Amino acid sequence: MTLIRFLALAAVAGLLTSCEKSGSNAPTENKLGGAGTDAKGGASQPVLVTTKSGVDMVYLPGGEFMMGSDRGNPDEAPAHKVKLSAFLMDKYEVTHEQFAKAQLPNPSHWQDSPQRPVERVRWRDAKRYCNERSLLEGLKPCYNEKTVDWDCDYSANGYRLPTEAEWEYACRAGTEGPYDFGRADKLRQYAWMAENSDQKTHPAGQKKPNGFGICDLYGNVSEWCEDVYSPTYYKESPPVDPHGPPNPGKDVKRVIRGGSWKSSPDQCQATVRQGERTGDTDACFSTDFCGFRCVRRVTPEELQQLKGSK
Amino acid sequence: MVAVFHAASAEAQTSLRELLQPAGFKIAYESYVDGNSDIFVMNADGSNPVKLTDTPTEQEHYPQVSPDGTKICFVSDVGEGRETVRSLHVMDIDGKNRKKIADHAREPFWGPNGKRIGFLPQEFPKFDVIDFSTTGMKFYDLATGEITPHVNCTNLHHLYNPSWASSGKWIVATVHAGMGFDHAILLIEAHGTNIINLKIHGCRPCFSPDAKQVAWGASDQELAAADIDLSAERPRIGKWNVRIRDKKPTKIYHIDWSPDGQFLAFSRGPDSGGDPTKPRTHQAAAEVHGVYAQGWNIAAVKVDRAANLRLEQATEADFCLLTTNGFSNKEPAWFRPRR
Repeated sequence: MTLIRFLALAAVAGLLTSCEKSGSNAPTENKLGGAGTDAKGGASQPVLVTTKSGVDMVYLPGGEFMMGSDRGNPDEAPAHKVKLSAFLMDKYEVTHEQFAKAQLPNPSHWQDSPQRPVERVRWRDAKRYCNERSLLEGLKPCYNEKTVDWDCDYSANGYRLPTEAEWEYACRAGTEGPYDFGRADKLRQYAWMAENSDQKTHPAGQKKPNGFGICDLYGNVSEWCEDVYSPTYYKESPPVDPHGPPNPGKDVKRVIRGGSWKSSPDQCQATVRQGERTGDTDACFSTDFCGFRCVRRVTPEELQQLKGSK
Repeated sequence: MVAVFHAASAEAQTSLRELLQPAGFKIAYESYVDGNSDIFVMNADGSNPVKLTDTPTEQEHYPQVSPDGTKICFVSDVGEGRETVRSLHVMDIDGKNRKKIADHAREPFWGPNGKRIGFLPQEFPKFDVIDFSTTGMKFYDLATGEITPHVNCTNLHHLYNPSWASSGKWIVATVHAGMGFDHAILLIEAHGTNIINLKIHGCRPCFSPDAKQVAWGASDQELAAADIDLSAERPRIGKWNVRIRDKKPTKIYHIDWSPDGQFLAFSRGPDSGGDPTKPRTHQAAAEVHGVYAQGWNIAAVKVDRAANLRLEQATEADFCLLTTNGFSNKEPAWFRPRR
């Protein structure tokens, strides 16, 4: 915990001045500067990189953290120690522009800005985007589209939805409270939520990033995760790289994390869990607060290449 | 619930069939049999189903019959997954003289005189089964083979399931996440730029043959039909004449009028999201064409007995299943065969 907290603080100095995007697909400048390296040559603190297709991502070194809360909703308990491998996470929620670039029909309610996050996206459509982006970048898609659930190959180097554990690790950014930035009265600086959103989404990256330099985790749209939602999962969750419980086969809900433009401040907390129906059987999925962002695994060598390509 | 319905109304089932038989109509529909989707035609009482297409490497679906009952246009999918190429075809009503009209195109609809076929170009070259993945609108001229864009083509986006009124001026279609609409059923001027939101909830509208009513799916479990005066400057929905309701998890979709406007056919089946084990089908809501819909069948009702019809309570004088094998039978299209 101490190490993570130190790394987060180190990152804050260079990365956290602004989350604003500089324009269409324009990567923000790498403000982290001299990232440390671990024994294998990988970075030991968050690093901003830009992928082949021009998407900003943040490299998060693996580590251990306390997941969940004993002081929150019943499904957040028990707080438990989880160890995660390193991964890359999108700096921003997936936008209309990115969705169109993958040649997917944009189902979003608000259509007037290509920089808004997509919403009304089914869980499977989000996974489809991940596979399309993998193919665009010559990576191996994680999802097997021939299976009912589009099973995830976690060993593939392509994009996928974050696991619930990865999402919370990224959001907490090495801290232990409900918000990584501290007091709840600062939430308006970090999140579009019911009390400041004017009841709509906003272009990605207009609020302050969290301690790892990731934007809109607390608000704008809630984000699909890979995991099946189970309110009791934390009682049985494995301690290393948990992927969620098995599919019960009936009335399945998948995890969504983070607040949205219609959430109360409490719903925006880093530990709050929600289950949402995937929309597989809805021709017109109308859940206009559901979006997503992507993650992918990365080797130390690949990280060096990504850093070098900037 | 279905078992109770059959037990309670077995005696009455003959009644609606008896009405359908002498009318002499036929119904084209899509069905997935032996690992392949094809176009079938049956008598309107459900008897004598005949397969019109038999192409193991192509998946034909979404049949639409010309107003004079002599031709069928439909879509055909070749390939798998994102590489699928969806094309439009037209053939004689007996399946002969098949001709391709366009690639990367979907949801064809007949013009009022049967001389033109409208269709919706696919939004992206890469295939997506979702029905609103369209951009613009075009027309194919059967005599010349020429394809021309709608005069407002560049402003038409994410439309699906259009229907062209026999009076000629208006096309009705659903829009989802496009043209500034969240989701709506729109009247679109066929040769102009006027667009009118009919302000009714649901999707898949279909004009009656006399263009005095429009039927649509008001929800997953409700079909409706209402008056519409297309001669008005700004037509709007009038009195509701038909409300057919079903119970979850059953869905009812794809409503279509008989040529005399006396009957309605529709598809009916359980809520599901497709079946990845069925070759060359896709995963999405069961009602989307190109998705294998396990347990779905074609059903019919009589319009004047459907003002407030609840299918779980209906007698077979009011309602009958025209197919029973459940092999993804969808998209009925009535026609009056030429003698």
